[in-house]
Amino acid sequence: MLESSATQGPYWEQPLPEDEHLRHQMEHLREEHLLFDPRPPAELNKYVLAAMKKTGPRFWLLVLGLGGMVSVFLVTWLLQMIYGIGITGLNRSVMWGPYIANLIYFIGIGHAGTFISAALRMMRMDFRRPIARAAETITLFGLATAGLFPIIHVGRVWKLFYMLPIPNQRGLWPNYRSALFWDMSAITTYIIGSTLFMYVALIPDFAMARDHTSGWRKKLYTALALGWRGSEGEWHRLETVSNLLSFVIVPVMFSVHTGVSWNLSMSLQPGWHSAIFGPFFVVGALYSGVAAVILVMILVRQAMGMGYFIRKEHFNAMGIFLLILTLTWIYFYFAEWITNWYGNLPPEVAIQRQLTGPLAPLFYGMLFCNIIVPLATLWSRRIRTNLKALFVVALIIQVGMYLERILIVAAFLSRNELPFNWVDYVPRLPEILITVGAMSFLVLMYTLFTRVAPIIPVWEVYEGQAVQSPRRIGRAVVPTRTEAH
Amino acid sequence: MADLMLLGLFDNVEIVADVVDDVRALGVDDRQVEVLSNVPYPAKFFGRKAARLWFLPFAVGGALLGALTAFFISKITPQLYPVYVGGQALTPVPPAAIMYFEFVSLFTMLGSFLGFIVQNRFPVMSPRIYDERITDGYIGVTVRASLDVAEKIVEVFEKHGSHVVKREDAANFPSGNRRTFLLWGVAGVAGLVMAAAPLLLTYDVIRIPWIDKMAHTVSVGYQEGPRRAAPAAAIPLQGPVLINGQPASEPLPATENSIRRGEMLYATNCAICHGYGAEKEGATVGNAYFQEAPALETVVAELSDSEIFLTITNGKNRMPSLAENLTPGETWDIVNYLRTLSADATSNADAS
Repeated sequence: MLESSATQGPYWEQPLPEDEHLRHQMEHLREEHLLFDPRPPAELNKYVLAAMKKTGPRFWLLVLGLGGMVSVFLVTWLLQMIYGIGITGLNRSVMWGPYIANLIYFIGIGHAGTFISAALRMMRMDFRRPIARAAETITLFGLATAGLFPIIHVGRVWKLFYMLPIPNQRGLWPNYRSALFWDMSAITTYIIGSTLFMYVALIPDFAMARDHTSGWRKKLYTALALGWRGSEGEWHRLETVSNLLSFVIVPVMFSVHTGVSWNLSMSLQPGWHSAIFGPFFVVGALYSGVAAVILVMILVRQAMGMGYFIRKEHFNAMGIFLLILTLTWIYFYFAEWITNWYGNLPPEVAIQRQLTGPLAPLFYGMLFCNIIVPLATLWSRRIRTNLKALFVVALIIQVGMYLERILIVAAFLSRNELPFNWVDYVPRLPEILITVGAMSFLVLMYTLFTRVAPIIPVWEVYEGQAVQSPRRIGRAVVPTRTEAH
Repeated sequence: MADLMLLGLFDNVEIVADVVDDVRALGVDDRQVEVLSNVPYPAKFFGRKAARLWFLPFAVGGALLGALTAFFISKITPQLYPVYVGGQALTPVPPAAIMYFEFVSLFTMLGSFLGFIVQNRFPVMSPRIYDERITDGYIGVTVRASLDVAEKIVEVFEKHGSHVVKREDAANFPSGNRRTFLLWGVAGVAGLVMAAAPLLLTYDVIRIPWIDKMAHTVSVGYQEGPRRAAPAAAIPLQGPVLINGQPASEPLPATENSIRRGEMLYATNCAICHGYGAEKEGATVGNAYFQEAPALETVVAELSDSEIFLTITNGKNRMPSLAENLTPGETWDIVNYLRTLSADATSNADAS
């Protein structure tokens, strides 16, 4: 019973059982589970590195297209700086439009990355192993894109230093009693923390890339790997620092979208001034974030040929996670809505009439995307493991969550306590170009990053493959879990 | 006698555990042995003791530094530069709690990361014995031993089917720790300077005359008229209403209270250009943009009450409209106050 499963040869060369029945089950398990299907690391390293180095004409065409969109974005922004924020559709009382909605949205999709790597790491969920890096990368560039929007939104960018907590003689010190400053410090903490967390896990993979590349890549990876050799002490400290960072960064992650929501709910704007806004935004962020991770998983798998690493089991697990978040989000949205509806306060009724009246197509479209579609599909394992179907569902959720953010910001602001201040907001071209351009910026950064850093955390996969193995109970072979640490 | 540095490559955890046992049996100290792998095998797999960790001082030190930062932002800065907003205390608990949470978290993470780097002696600046096949899944065992023991260790390696045996002079692998610590020392000092230098300026330790007069900042006009037209069905609120093209609302009688209110409002809204009390010129006089602001005592005497009212409300030449800053009643208060000025001027002239 206590015999080692691998007395001879490396873990990736363990023989299949002789009995035909068991052998058949074993082969089935290998097909399904990445961790029971070990292959020589030499082969997998080559595979991952080759995908990183591959830059065909299609890749450059994509980069060119996205680069074009980003330059449109930059030119639009420049025009907005020259002519002022008046070239957008923003005006009293809708001073917060798509720019703030984009801030909320992009920070939101950055939430799932850390949740998947940090929280699932703490809970020792093995399905996170091959997808953690792809998810963390969304966090990194989602936050970078989101960080642009306060700057775009303030209009006079040369006054940006007012955001920093520096005292001055104007008596306008933007002090820590303002929700904007809470949010700024939360986002700063989060972006620094998640970058450290991601970098720590990248070090062994940079060492792998260092050992098997040449030229400029070798120089780059040698510098980034910091001299990693994989000694027991190094691994031990890597595990410990990852655990430490995980435990700190999960509460920080919750604080970030709570901080974003408090930017809204600390005001007395009807519809916004609600205690549930913090948790509601966190759930919404996770919801759109997990859907975004699924989109990226599918794109990385198909475009870079990562079918070996990212398998149906991972889509299935993420689909279940998404379904749970759908239900949670519905609950929060309903709790928020029914409180306002029952309260029957005139300005809140005006907002609800606006949503179910002139904005009904957007509002009901949002409910359709966020509630009907995921509930109707994600319960089915066949849909969860069908890449095309899952892609469409995740994309629909993105649309739904974006609509939700636009409605919460622009539609809520258009109705308030003072009827003479009511106004209907219609976006103009600049906001639309800047929004599309920012999205392109995120995709462009992500695309370039996949060519510089290993998008699959290979050492985490090897760890799982080296330690995990199935076990025979009676006539069946079943998956088991080994806790090595 | 010079030491040798040995490296053997194996492909199985069991074998490495046997090798480690055999090397220990030769009397080699455990600290001279290191196991290298591309998988985080815990030391217990090889029957070895886990490395001692020193994360606590780094994490706690970071947390304390974070708490200090939060204290600086939420307690010291408001004391130095008090800004009173919305009836809040200078250091209210709830926002201060947020500061403590965020900055303790941030610096705990930075401290832990620093601990990781420092304990691993990263970045490694001197050569170390290594083989690139380790990242291909082979497990390396390195031993530092004297020449005679080294021969026996090589025998142990070969007995257990080592794929490769590297033999190097241990003198080729000096400790690079000093250079690494020097690098981090320099980086740390540079970081401190970069963080502290802006604070010296912003907290007035080094005083540079900032541009703090509004007159010297660039003036940017609004992009649209001050108010949208009221909706067709809008109902006027109570009180005086100013409608373009119609006569100004009723003047207020020049009571003593009205004049005192007017004086206060004048000091807030008008004095910056027109001067106040003994100072006959406002702070903006001498600036190219504002130089035309006239001394009011003479101008006001030539204007009727409603002309003054309209000038304040709509602006004139370079003077901006104050319609958004003052209600019609407040404007009348200022008119009443201005009348006392010209009365003073006249009586002074009479007396002399």
